[in-house]
Amino acid sequence: MRALDYIVPESAAAAVALLNEHGETACPLAGGTDLVVDLKHSPGNIQVLVDVSGLEEFHGIEETEKGLRIGSMVTYGEIMENPICIEKIPEVVAASHTVGAVQTRNLGTIGGNLVTCVPSADSAPALMVLDAEVTVTGTDGDRCMPIEDFFIGPRKTILEPHELLADIWIPKKMLGKPSSFSKFGLRKGQALALVNVAAALELDKGKILEPRIALGAVAPTPIRALKAESHLAGQKPTADLIDEAAQIAVTETKPIDDFRASANYRRQLIRRLTQRVLTQSLEIAAER
Amino acid sequence: MLVEINVNGEPRSADVPPETTLLKMLREDMGLTGAKLGCDVGDCGTCTVIVDGVSVNSCLMMAARANGSKVTTIEGLANANELHPLQEKFEEHGALQCGFCGPGMLISAKSLLDKNPEPTVFEVRDALAGNLCRCTGYTKIIEAVMDAGREMRSGQSGA
Amino acid sequence: MATRTKDIRADTEELVTEAKAPSRQPLTVPTDKPVAYPLDLPEGEARLRTPAVGQRASRPDGRLHGLGQTQYIDDITFPHMLHAKILRSEYPHARILSIDTSEAEKMPGVLATLTGDEIPENSFGPTFQDQPVLAYPIVRHRGDGVVAVAAVTEQQATDALEKIKVEYEPLPHVFDPMEALEDDSPKVHGETNIYTSKTIKKGDVEKALKESDHVFHRQFRTQMVEHVPLEPHASIASWDGNGRVTLWTSLGRITLGREDLARTLAMPQSKIRLIGTVVGGNFGGKNEITNEPILALLSKKAGRPVKSVFTRGDEFISSTIRHPFTMDYTTGVDNSGKILARKIRLVLDGGAYCSWTGTTIGKGSILAPGPYNIDNILVEAYAVYTNKTTTGAMRGFGAPQVCFAYESQMDDIADALGIDPLEIRLRNGFSENSLSPTSQTLQSVALKESLTQAAERFGWKEWQE
Repeated sequence: MRALDYIVPESAAAAVALLNEHGETACPLAGGTDLVVDLKHSPGNIQVLVDVSGLEEFHGIEETEKGLRIGSMVTYGEIMENPICIEKIPEVVAASHTVGAVQTRNLGTIGGNLVTCVPSADSAPALMVLDAEVTVTGTDGDRCMPIEDFFIGPRKTILEPHELLADIWIPKKMLGKPSSFSKFGLRKGQALALVNVAAALELDKGKILEPRIALGAVAPTPIRALKAESHLAGQKPTADLIDEAAQIAVTETKPIDDFRASANYRRQLIRRLTQRVLTQSLEIAAER
Repeated sequence: MLVEINVNGEPRSADVPPETTLLKMLREDMGLTGAKLGCDVGDCGTCTVIVDGVSVNSCLMMAARANGSKVTTIEGLANANELHPLQEKFEEHGALQCGFCGPGMLISAKSLLDKNPEPTVFEVRDALAGNLCRCTGYTKIIEAVMDAGREMRSGQSGA
Repeated sequence: MATRTKDIRADTEELVTEAKAPSRQPLTVPTDKPVAYPLDLPEGEARLRTPAVGQRASRPDGRLHGLGQTQYIDDITFPHMLHAKILRSEYPHARILSIDTSEAEKMPGVLATLTGDEIPENSFGPTFQDQPVLAYPIVRHRGDGVVAVAAVTEQQATDALEKIKVEYEPLPHVFDPMEALEDDSPKVHGETNIYTSKTIKKGDVEKALKESDHVFHRQFRTQMVEHVPLEPHASIASWDGNGRVTLWTSLGRITLGREDLARTLAMPQSKIRLIGTVVGGNFGGKNEITNEPILALLSKKAGRPVKSVFTRGDEFISSTIRHPFTMDYTTGVDNSGKILARKIRLVLDGGAYCSWTGTTIGKGSILAPGPYNIDNILVEAYAVYTNKTTTGAMRGFGAPQVCFAYESQMDDIADALGIDPLEIRLRNGFSENSLSPTSQTLQSVALKESLTQAAERFGWKEWQE
């Protein structure tokens, strides 16, 4: 790797100040599973690494009145072992399990993954169907937003150069909501998603309430399938209804042709996986 | 910059440029060449070591980040008198051929058995998913890990 | 089909869970000796019994592998050792107009550079010597090395590569082997891209095809495959005071390598010592020299030992790969599924340089008709140059590609004629004293017995029902 400076700031505020001071030549380092690879092959302008992985303010998983807070520097490995996450957000845990392999999950942070912002980020759909919000901290203080608003495009988030992703919140009312996640990759491990999908919903007197469907790797950012959701809302679930919703979801996506798969194959995956996550969510909801 | 770590029970330190990875520091500045450089991008797992209780790709971890940490490498598995049960079983089953994946495999397997002493075959595969092997086809490696798990459990209950 | 897969998986799970190594003496070592190299390893049982065949043999290298003490090239360092990096071509086919290393040589830590025109004899190869050590003046694929740099640290060598200025005049390139066959295609070397061919004729294939009840034709293609040995190619070169060079290298064929070094360095073999070390996977990809002459010359220039390890990127674009085959199979059978004639055309995508194509085309051609008794055979095989990664030896050497073709076609034939796929192979398969496609009498043939026993063990009959 090219010569770089490495600084461990003492606090989040200090980190923000450092990033502000160095501008484009500095970047925050979390787990490094993406950044360190980039630094080895295409470092660009980066000269200073600001290691935020150990900052206390960005760690911790706790449940409060507001909901479930996950610090941005929590690793996927930690999420998978955390009892609160296992109980309250099992599909986020399931999504975490599909990321890379053990070693990458022990380094890779949920915040780092969201900031790298590849369309196929595995935790994104699972978080989106739970109405997750993110907190961003910068020189002007903190701001909060729904996670969908955080993503702008491939590898682009709303973060200003001096800003950091502080934590991810899942609202209290969404905890334990019946949900399901499914990912299809060319291998079972260490594979990018060709398509990943999550769904969450409730059943109220036999009718679908507040359905959520989110898809990754099929558009410039992870997206909600809003038309598919409104097709389901208030309806009695049937196999046909689910398939219709799945087909509508396909129309809301823009999958690409690349060396991993054709757009056509991806469309078939979207339909099939959306059916699957909806069916599984309904099964969980029916048991309640 | 000065990096101080505890490796295999021994305090060690090295003065390395800030951009040095943990893998490079272990191999070139501390003479611990067990962890290998296979891809340098965290895909092959030959660089796997344990840092503060969790297995990581040392090619992706900056050496400076490991400052103050407890690191276990393949050199720390056997002690002066005995092989680790994993090393015994790998040898008995003939689990390694060229051996290049060995250190990483053994560390990942140790990390698994330390947390989950009675894994299923699926759990072993999942735990080793980040360690590639081009020679063996993995079957004997998995058998050896299952067998080592049995050995470690029987050793404990017998004690 | 799904049920069958589940059964197989369940059985495998059982096998793996229950697997136990045959009992041996416990592996604790004497308490007054540390567990380190060198070790007195217990003598393998196989060596102590007669006959050894059928006895369990343990790998003697397993102990050091498990301890992580096996020394691969990259684990070896020498005092004052330098690191070398190679700048590779920017074009698949181009003429080098100029190379300017002056800026690179001024970079900190850089002690030597090397270009192709400095190599005493810039050609080598196991069959034809058509491959340069460092390409000059023509580059023929993106993986061709052009300039080598030796510096005190790896990063300094990598930084220096960025300062090297190479001017290229791009030439027309050819990627598709079928296009490369044509007379008007861009030429990689010389007047034609067809650099080796093989013909095997037996009987009268055209007549037999006319007399067949059914004729099947299909084209099969296989893809590029890279060995991906976990250990990248690596070598170290060092000279002694008597003008002898020693190479520690991951190279597998060291006598051939020594010949290539003697040739490229224009030195007598007696002054070249080649140490083939423990290797982290070869699979055919480490069967010829790569950087060794470069390192020898850099080491001579710099007066210090020089090491070079391929990056994983180098492994993919520069080290040899398996030949993609394009295979046209025309097979004539009678109504009982017996093969009367087989006509095959093989086109090997031969990459930018010959490497081990001679062996690959030979093996591929002879094995192309498959292990079946066929009286009328015509195999025409061609290897063509393309401006892509050099195709070389990889386990199978042409056999896997043709196997895919002839076995796929057997299934096609079986399906079309309504014959059991196992049955049709038993009808046509070799037996003792069958003749190979080149009329060699085959002995110790266990083809039909193996198929039958395997089919029993897999439950072939039950599965068919």
